[in-house]
Amino acid sequence: MILAAVRAEWFKIVRRPAVSVTIGLFLLLEVGIGYLITYLVATHPPANPGQAGENFANLRASLYPNSFVLKSISNANTLGGIFALILGVLVQGSEYGWETVKTAQTQLPGRLTILAGRLLAVAFVIALMTVGLFLLDAIASDAFAAIDGKAASFPPWVDIAKGIGADWLIFAFAATFGFALATLFRQSAMAIGIGLGYVLVIEGLIFGLLGQLGDTVKQVHTWFPAANAQYLTQAFGSVQGVFSLATNGRQDADATHAVVALSLWVIGLIVLSGALVRVRDVK
Amino acid sequence: MNIVETRRLTKQYGGHVVAVRDLNLNVRQGEVYGFLGPNGAGKTTTLRMLVGLIKPTTGTASVAGAAPGTHQSLARLGAMVESPAFWPYLSGRDNLRLLARYCRISDRRVGLVLDEVEMSQRAHRAFGTYSTGMKQRLGVAAALLKDPQLLILDEPTNGLDPQGMAEFRDLIKRLGQGDRTVLLSSHLLGEVEQICTRVGVISQGRLVAEGTIEEIRGGAQLIVRAAPVEKAHAILVGSLGESRVALRDDGSFSLDVGSEQTASIASHLVKSGLELTELRPSERSLEEVFMELTGSESGA
Repeated sequence: MILAAVRAEWFKIVRRPAVSVTIGLFLLLEVGIGYLITYLVATHPPANPGQAGENFANLRASLYPNSFVLKSISNANTLGGIFALILGVLVQGSEYGWETVKTAQTQLPGRLTILAGRLLAVAFVIALMTVGLFLLDAIASDAFAAIDGKAASFPPWVDIAKGIGADWLIFAFAATFGFALATLFRQSAMAIGIGLGYVLVIEGLIFGLLGQLGDTVKQVHTWFPAANAQYLTQAFGSVQGVFSLATNGRQDADATHAVVALSLWVIGLIVLSGALVRVRDVK
Repeated sequence: MNIVETRRLTKQYGGHVVAVRDLNLNVRQGEVYGFLGPNGAGKTTTLRMLVGLIKPTTGTASVAGAAPGTHQSLARLGAMVESPAFWPYLSGRDNLRLLARYCRISDRRVGLVLDEVEMSQRAHRAFGTYSTGMKQRLGVAAALLKDPQLLILDEPTNGLDPQGMAEFRDLIKRLGQGDRTVLLSSHLLGEVEQICTRVGVISQGRLVAEGTIEEIRGGAQLIVRAAPVEKAHAILVGSLGESRVALRDDGSFSLDVGSEQTASIASHLVKSGLELTELRPSERSLEEVFMELTGSESGA
């Protein structure tokens, strides 16, 4: 029945305008902010940039193909996590808003099978979102290299594959986080508010303050999700993004640790969602 | 054979609010069963338990031969609980195609059920644009998708205009023909009286009556008015027995006898020199019984 549930959820997700708009907007902003605006800034330095001139040159170089994996990771870290979280909330939260939970749960597959089908469909969607992001960035970087007359030299396939995997894991965490919050609160608005609040402010604020208490707190923080999203992206180079607010730029753990921690968070959030769906009445 | 059977089914919320209490429901295979009760009596809570959306606090239920919410039970039932809920951005047809995928049913069946509820012409429109009547019809179509043995419909005519209600009643009568069992909840007595073969009456979470409409209403009676009243009373008691004669407030008598005795009673009274001014059969209406059982105003 799991395949039936995946087919049904996929049927629903691909026809939903809000999903296309969310992904489309993310990719548009990705190219708009990540490449077009950056190129405009990089090509219009102040008349006397002084030492900042080197920064403008680096900024321009970051738009070329050899930097595109780092660029994709950086932009995904900034924007993608937020959009993936919104996606996870939309997919689950709307079912409560429309009361379609009861319609779906009186069909054949059963509660947990439907949940598994929905999560797998979300996993496919964010995989497409990740591949779309890398594809778009590759095309954009190639285009800007061509405009500037630079050679298009892309990073090795292994690095690209690692980048796609890392991005997918960060998106997967954000989406399951949104999904679990929507399941918990049985609505979208509160889930988006609290989800964004956590990713953007709460974790960074709490551990920023508690960090003064010593290394034990820092060690505890290395198992929290926003911090690990940042550790993972930093493994590809110096990257600043939304999740970096949580660590204030520190690299307290390596990529392997980050992959393990984020995977545990994804599994934990799925288990939480499953337990809530299984146990609670549908009112 | 009962297709739905509950034993001491109880649902309690928050430790003190009892929505359904010790409910023993018996719905037989092939009948159209009316689950009757005023608003807030516990009808929807019961139906939600029967389709597995909520779990009972205590008691047991068997629905289509299995525990509610199990694969075996869900495979044999189609349900519309409260207002029909669908994905608003999908068309009516796509909503059914989506449900068909959940249940591994071919898209051909979607066309058939749309025809059955006369929605084929409007199935291309987004569900969000549907009128109440169209939503209800799509809800029934969705419930029919699995060609279920048991159809559970919760207040299906809610929000419909009189013409829509009449059309819907005809539709439900049609669906209840053959082996299919229909369990229909309603607070509209006229609707239940027209459609259902048996009814269960629920009040404040308890089943207060269950049987055919005739059983629920009780036996037929004769109303007799004759003068002088004292002499008439003596003659009637003498011929029928005291237990079958009741003097009503308006001075007439209510006789607990069948209509086949009408002629002999009339003849006896007239031959005894009484002035007979009224003699007619009387049945208690379902509304009277309902109000008596539930102590409430009906929606009839």
